[in-house]
Amino acid sequence: MIRLSRKYRFSASHRLYSPALSEERNRAIYGKCANPYGHGHDYEVEVTVAGRVDAVTGRSVSLAALDALVNGEIVEPFRYKNLNEEVPAFQMAVPTTENLAVEAARRLRAKWQIVFGADGPQFENIRIWETERNICEVSGREFQTNES
Amino acid sequence: MLISKRVEFSASHICRSPLLSEEENQRVYGAACNPHSHGHNYLIEVAIEGEPAPVTGMIMDLKELKDILEEKVLNIYDHRLLNKEVEPFDRIVPTVENIAIDIWNRLQGPINLHERSTLYSVKVYETNDLFVEYRGGK
Repeated sequence: MIRLSRKYRFSASHRLYSPALSEERNRAIYGKCANPYGHGHDYEVEVTVAGRVDAVTGRSVSLAALDALVNGEIVEPFRYKNLNEEVPAFQMAVPTTENLAVEAARRLRAKWQIVFGADGPQFENIRIWETERNICEVSGREFQTNES
Repeated sequence: MLISKRVEFSASHICRSPLLSEEENQRVYGAACNPHSHGHNYLIEVAIEGEPAPVTGMIMDLKELKDILEEKVLNIYDHRLLNKEVEPFDRIVPTVENIAIDIWNRLQGPINLHERSTLYSVKVYETNDLFVEYRGGK
């Protein structure tokens, strides 16, 4: 078993604000991230795949298939978007890095077996950099919801 | 406890298998199957596991680790065409996966000979955006 990781990038805007909380609580929890018009980041996404190295090709996963999956499920739907307004999952959940990573993992998990099959390389984890100092990691293996 | 050391080497390779057709090589490796070769600045991160010795406070003298990395990997890989000049890549394709496994195989013996340390993982970054981690099959 070997773990291969590949990085992707997208830029998007968001606002961290929960309608379930008071104005003061929002301000206390999210600080300037709760500013009403939102703000943006250059996000980085690292997807790690665990697989066996094919004896002939020397590859553990098809990079073309991985790129197509991640670009189709994460980069294209999120890039140059207002996450709160344009991504359905964030009409309910606050688009924190945590919830973004959970949603990104859910999207990959939903299509993984269709792309790679049951015996193919496994989705190990996903890491999302909101900034160089803010990184969130979610396992690809277990089922996680926005509540977990 | 884990301690890691990073070193770099530059090398060229050709990702192409004689067992595959031209179309399959193109599909699997894309531009990397160019028979004239291309190159990368590889970065290796080697993690060793152990407990620090009570007197020295060290798992392993990092100078010793550096010497092992130089002798067993860098002197062999640096500024070479891997397919032609480094075994086993005369027989298997020098993908980043196979490079990590080969580096593990070269390092495991000498590092595990050391009384306090065992090799934990080998990470090989082929570019900033693509790397693998091998933990001896675990």
